[in-house]
Amino acid sequence: MTSEGFKRHGSNSYIAEFAQNEREILINLAEQIIELLAERVDHGHEDPLAAMVGITSHDSPPEDEVLHRLLPNAYQDQADSAEFRRYTESTLRSKKQAHAMAMRMYLKSAEDGIIDLDHDGANAWLGAVNDIRLALGVRLNVQERTQDELELLAPDDPLRGVYIVYGWLGWLQEGLIEALMDES
Amino acid sequence: MVKTDTKIEEEIRAIFSSDSPWVTIVWDDPVNLMTYVTYVLMELFGFSKAKAQELMMKVHTEGKAVVSTGSREEMEHDVARLHEYGLWATLQRGDQAL
Repeated sequence: MTSEGFKRHGSNSYIAEFAQNEREILINLAEQIIELLAERVDHGHEDPLAAMVGITSHDSPPEDEVLHRLLPNAYQDQADSAEFRRYTESTLRSKKQAHAMAMRMYLKSAEDGIIDLDHDGANAWLGAVNDIRLALGVRLNVQERTQDELELLAPDDPLRGVYIVYGWLGWLQEGLIEALMDES
Repeated sequence: MVKTDTKIEEEIRAIFSSDSPWVTIVWDDPVNLMTYVTYVLMELFGFSKAKAQELMMKVHTEGKAVVSTGSREEMEHDVARLHEYGLWATLQRGDQAL
């Protein structure tokens, strides 16, 4: 990884330069989040009007652990949570997809590898990178594993690469936040 | 029956109560960076950096913190916005044991 991360330029510009391989990794990750969220399709809509106003057929959390972390329960109470999910989950999914799509678009259009974000773009980018980290975090089981255990993953362990990307994304996110907080 | 009546009474009292009976809670999460939690709280709630950092530290050390108080509808809105940015948040009645 060669990028130096995001730096602030002027009052509303946050710029980073990515090598081709870094850009490809980021595009790939953003696309995976978009696809994952799309897997959670609203099945069996009998009421097209309900679909139009964003009421989904889902009132139970996703079985997939990653999707569950991205679309969490809003209440500790199951019944309240189910009701809330029915009315809000599709909106949450579209917002998360929009963040990842914005990130993908920035990267796709930056053939020279230079990403220039304004404040809103930076927020979308942060949301998308965070969703990717949440997804990788579930796969890495960061809830149970200590940092030392993760550092000691064997070089041939497929999770080793995931952990390196996870760490790099955290570093990238941290740098962008620092650049954003610089002004406040 | 008596129990149900008490519950209904409580519910009605909560509806008409002038205090803000609902709270939004942010829970500790091993993935979300401390700086990210601070930044999201500043962006979504307009908190100062000091206030956002204080709440973030509470989440980090105590496992959770109340970040906003208000009507149920307002808290549902806050939780939805926190979920949009990947923070682990729930809402509940303020008088419920945390």
